[in-house]
Amino acid sequence: MQVLPWLILLLPLFAAVGIALGALPAHRRGVAARLSVGAAGLAFLLSVLLWSSGTQGEQGFLWLAAGALKVEFGWRLDALSVPMLLVVTGVGGLIQVYSLGYMRGDKGFGRYFAGLSLFTFAMEGIVLSTNLVQMFVFWELVGVSSYLLIGFWRERPAAADACKKAFLTNRVGDFGFFLGILLVWSLLGTVNFTEMSAVLQRQPEALGGLATLAGLLVFCGAVGKSAQFPLHVWLPDAMEGPTPVSALIHAATMVAAGVYMLCRVFFLLDVPGSVALEVIAWTGIFTALLAGVIAVQQDDIKRILAYSTLSQLGFMVLGVGLAGGSHDPAPAMFHLTTHAAFKALLFLGAGAVIHALHHQEQNIWKMGGLASKMPVTFVTFGLATLALCGFPPFSGAYSKDAILLPAYEQGRYGLLVLALTGGFLTALYMFRLVFVAFLGPAKSQAMDQAAEVRGVMKWPLILLAVPTVLAGGWGIEGVYRRAFGAAEPVEAVSWFGQIIAPLTHAPMVALLAFVAAAGGAFVAYRLYWDALTDPLPDKLGTPAEWARRRFGFDELYARIIAGTQDALAGLAAAVDRWVLAGAVVRGGHGLVELAGRVLRLVQTGNLQGYVTFFVAGTVLLLLFVLTR
Amino acid sequence: MAWLSFIILCPLVAALLIAVLPRNLRVLFRVLAVTATALSLAGALTVFFSFQTGSDGLQFEEYHPWIELLGAGYHLGVDGLNVGLVLLATVVAFAAACLAWEVTHREKEFYLLLLLMTGGVIGAFAAFDMLLFFVFHELALIPTFLMIGIWGRGPDRDYAAFKLTLYLMVGSLLVLLGLIGLHAAGGFRSLDMVDLQAHLAIDPAPVAWQRTLFGLLLAGFGMLVALWPFHTWAPTGYAAAPTPTAMLHAGVLKKFGLYGLIRVALPMLPEGARTWLPVLAVLCLGNILYSGLVAIRQRDLNLLIGNSSVAHVGFAFLGIASLNVLGVTGAVLVMVAHGFLAALLFGLNGWLHQRFGSTEMDRFGGLLVALPFAGTLLAMAMLAGCGLPGFAGFPGEALVLFGAWQYSRVLTVLAAWGALILAAVYMLRAIRTVLHGPLPEKLRGIAADVQNPWQRLPYALLLAGLVYFGVWPRALVDKVQPAAAEVVARARSWAAVPGSSMPSGTLLAGNDPEPGGTP
Repeated sequence: MQVLPWLILLLPLFAAVGIALGALPAHRRGVAARLSVGAAGLAFLLSVLLWSSGTQGEQGFLWLAAGALKVEFGWRLDALSVPMLLVVTGVGGLIQVYSLGYMRGDKGFGRYFAGLSLFTFAMEGIVLSTNLVQMFVFWELVGVSSYLLIGFWRERPAAADACKKAFLTNRVGDFGFFLGILLVWSLLGTVNFTEMSAVLQRQPEALGGLATLAGLLVFCGAVGKSAQFPLHVWLPDAMEGPTPVSALIHAATMVAAGVYMLCRVFFLLDVPGSVALEVIAWTGIFTALLAGVIAVQQDDIKRILAYSTLSQLGFMVLGVGLAGGSHDPAPAMFHLTTHAAFKALLFLGAGAVIHALHHQEQNIWKMGGLASKMPVTFVTFGLATLALCGFPPFSGAYSKDAILLPAYEQGRYGLLVLALTGGFLTALYMFRLVFVAFLGPAKSQAMDQAAEVRGVMKWPLILLAVPTVLAGGWGIEGVYRRAFGAAEPVEAVSWFGQIIAPLTHAPMVALLAFVAAAGGAFVAYRLYWDALTDPLPDKLGTPAEWARRRFGFDELYARIIAGTQDALAGLAAAVDRWVLAGAVVRGGHGLVELAGRVLRLVQTGNLQGYVTFFVAGTVLLLLFVLTR
Repeated sequence: MAWLSFIILCPLVAALLIAVLPRNLRVLFRVLAVTATALSLAGALTVFFSFQTGSDGLQFEEYHPWIELLGAGYHLGVDGLNVGLVLLATVVAFAAACLAWEVTHREKEFYLLLLLMTGGVIGAFAAFDMLLFFVFHELALIPTFLMIGIWGRGPDRDYAAFKLTLYLMVGSLLVLLGLIGLHAAGGFRSLDMVDLQAHLAIDPAPVAWQRTLFGLLLAGFGMLVALWPFHTWAPTGYAAAPTPTAMLHAGVLKKFGLYGLIRVALPMLPEGARTWLPVLAVLCLGNILYSGLVAIRQRDLNLLIGNSSVAHVGFAFLGIASLNVLGVTGAVLVMVAHGFLAALLFGLNGWLHQRFGSTEMDRFGGLLVALPFAGTLLAMAMLAGCGLPGFAGFPGEALVLFGAWQYSRVLTVLAAWGALILAAVYMLRAIRTVLHGPLPEKLRGIAADVQNPWQRLPYALLLAGLVYFGVWPRALVDKVQPAAAEVVARARSWAAVPGSSMPSGTLLAGNDPEPGGTP
């Protein structure tokens, strides 16, 4: 069993290297596909084996050690990492299969699968990491694979800009993350999760007055990777990548890595004297609402889903922030897991639509009537929408309910109301999307040719619909709860018991959440059923315009960067050119040359002149010596 | 077998052969240069992989008396500090010799000078005698001036060559004065580094003398490595240099200054180090932040790489300034990593210049599609340049930052900004401009990739170096760490010096205790 985690981790890497070295040309696409999909599928099967064997523990070898720093490279299996591994390899495997169809005609087929395999490797690395530095290494590798895949169609300026923006925005978060690692290391003396947690258990005050700062610096990493406000701007642009990439990396797994990381280091956040969790909760809910509002006024099918992802990530981060004390962040992981299934399904559905429209059209106001043309896509997309909006008995209802519950129990009604508003917005923008793109009248000629996807693209949709519908009753939250020290449940709860649990536990929360979602769906029905254009800008005016323009964050940041870093760079370059290289070097050069020219005047070769200078010098010296 | 002598002599003997051969045997010169550097490389690989990790003292040591009057000897050896640098020097020299095909006139002289430079630079890193150390360095430096002057390129060639020569000559002069001062401090008995170090450990030089000498050495070595604000020779100098020269100088010879600081200045002048390292800690931010910012504004790929190279060596300075095991080990790692990286970047840049006649970035675009091999390598090198894990720069810079954190948190935050943000900004902007986007009309016809495997080999080799030490940093760290620990211990022995009255905890030092001090 000890060899399994190594295999799971390294198989995708071998696939990536193998493709990069030998299967990039178009005529070897078969090899590339077999390598990549094979590695992903095998990794999933081995993960299932690992899960069923119940292996737990930690293993690693020394990777980097000097002075007081000791970094291991290894794996850690527990109730947090093993289910997450199943999510990554399971969803990842299905999306790779789907990609076989979606990317069929692309010149860069091999390169695409090499990128996906590299991503799978890096993501599994994050999940299995035993320490902060190893996690940071894979954190960066995930970032670069995301960069490569967003910029997959690199000759398109929009894609090239988007990948650069994604990487740089993430780097800002990583900057904070790295400083957080340094700070935690210097306070606790180790970067290993087990050891850090042991130190904190012995001495809860070990972080001292820097506890909040340490927690927030580490949180910076999650803000970047999980695209929380104020670093949320990169994720919508990341939709320039191929749609399966958006599904896997920018919806299901990589962007959730921030949430996973927060859960992994939860013991650092939940220490006495730290208000980090409070900040995390408010960041999450603010992101959830901001993105929800923006999503209502977007027209590009993928961008709507991207903002929806932002919003849901906000809910997960809220779930982490609400933990502490008697609550653990298992609800965040629960929502991460269900979200991975239904959001991947939504993106793959959007991909099916885009594929059916020959990659020409992504504006929902040019679509319409797709439900009858693409029934499988419509049904699965609809199920995922219901799950996302939180209608029981679909999976999303339970995970969202789990996040709301602590807010209710802790009496934080402000957060609860805001979260319910978020739920309302979710239903509004999702039903807007479904009504306009799938149900309403066809709004352009292109819809006539749309046809259902087949084969490798259809089955992943159907398979992903299974957890989308059922995962609420699988007891996922209980599994994660064990990672935070909860005991094994005494008696197994039946599937039906799980399904009705919210009603028996806190019927108020379940009811409110349902009302909020139903309200959103109803408003969407009134506004968008059979609509040909968006009525909201006329009704709301300026606020709608702001939402459409995403509240101008991109422009604001561009201006800030231009005003600070770029201005400084300009100044430094000018100083370098004119002062250091110009004045100092050329000036020094000039001075030497001037001295040479002046002295040359003296070297006349005239004997009388030399004698005169000699005598004058002697007189001066004599004067100096004698008058002292 | 005297491996180190073999490694140094291969290129020098080949240079001698070329000197006596008639000048029309062009192919033979090339074959000789490539063969000689390949033999050196094989030797250096043997030395590197048979190096006994964990054992103290010099390995592969050779000693022959030389000038008894001065106490100078032909003393070679490797320990953890230089074993990686010797390997780096031979890899880069081999790659540079392979890429010298771009030189098409006066090949005889060019190969002659290139081989002299190679022998000199390897010798400088293997020498344990200060006279030998200095002479080998000059043997490498003077061909640099000649190569830039004769085979250089670009309109500013003369100015660039002039500036570079001036700076490096002044730097060498200061280093020479400092070394003579050390010789004097040791009572003019020995120029041998091991002897002198042992002698100064028991009988340290007076404090004022130490401060003066360390200042001289810091200024001199600093100029040779382009320490801010003595850095302006580097970007323009490399832009004007022929590709192999830029590779060897930026990749290897430049490290002489850093190596000298660690090998000579730190262990022999602890009190000087204590006075001057806080100054170095501030100046290195000039490299990291200021040159990083300057790099952002460059529109020419060559100048961008030159400025980024100045910025990267700042991390080695920062590691030295932190004066702890983590920092100094990281500094050595950064030196090796940057050597491979700079050589790779200048090599690719030279290839682009050769092919397109200019490296102005706005002329390019979409090269990843047009030139799959060269473009991919350039992209990988640039990602390595922004400190991506998997390439050797990451463990190096990470160790330096961990070490610097123990020294001063403020400095570390600023340096981390340079490492994680600024480097990513200029590297990714360059990728966006040069490699991504559509291919301009003008380049449609003339864009042909590196096809010949012999031309691909040098680039692949340099990349392999970056990846090897990036994936398995312990190959180097385990060797470096004991030696670095010894240097740090010696350099921190200032308490032993009589009359040292500096208050501890200067200006910026945070005086953190070692982490984990609490149970």
